[in-house]
Amino acid sequence: MAAEIALLLCAALLITVIAAIFSKSMSVTIIMLFYASLVLGIIFTIYQGVVIGLVHITTFAGAMSVMLLTVVLMTGETKLDIGNRTLAALLAAITILVVAASSYSLFTGAPSSPQTATQPATDIFSFIWMFRPWDLLILIIIFAAAMIAVVNLLSSKEARA
Amino acid sequence: MITDQTVFATVATILVFLGLFSMFYSRNLLKTIVSFQIVVFGANLALFSSGLGQASNLMANTLVLFSIVAGASVEAVGLALIVLVHRAYGTLDPWKIRRLKH
Repeated sequence: MAAEIALLLCAALLITVIAAIFSKSMSVTIIMLFYASLVLGIIFTIYQGVVIGLVHITTFAGAMSVMLLTVVLMTGETKLDIGNRTLAALLAAITILVVAASSYSLFTGAPSSPQTATQPATDIFSFIWMFRPWDLLILIIIFAAAMIAVVNLLSSKEARA
Repeated sequence: MITDQTVFATVATILVFLGLFSMFYSRNLLKTIVSFQIVVFGANLALFSSGLGQASNLMANTLVLFSIVAGASVEAVGLALIVLVHRAYGTLDPWKIRRLKH
């Protein structure tokens, strides 16, 4: 893998992490952390760490984002309002770009190897390797759609009205 | 010559220090948990990059998997503690909690 791709992904990771740390709104922090988890999962996936990429995306971009959001809503301590629709639209556009980049990286990488005669036929997880790009893409699309819905819900009421 | 391993190791170091910086200076316990998650990201990336140059990186992958599970568990417990702290003190500011304790 070329070092330029690593640099690009790492730049995306650093930008999302810095935005998560220095953001005033807790919603933006959680959304940026979601993007950081997704980018890190993509890094693992395209560098031959498919299982840990999948586990990372499922755990941090999925479960932990929802748990953080639930705790923020339960405590009601921090400012949740994103501010305006422009920022919400920007975040949604970034989500779509992430999905496009993920699908590109998943489908232009090494072709998924079908089950060969050397592999045992009783391997119950063989379908993961056979349909690897598809299940990861579907997972990313589901998470992205959920985050767009969250962005829409948390955008300011005045701008929505 | 910059290799992928060098890039990932550098970014992992930056992530760990960014997370620690944010953890020490945040005035909100939720931000502390977010910072902890960033430190876990850095640790995962460092572990993953350690196995990149080798023929088989199964050991590194196993360690990353262990780190993901441990980090998620610690974070879940931390979030539960935050809910309890908010119920008890009504705030998430560590300095205010410290004053309310006395």
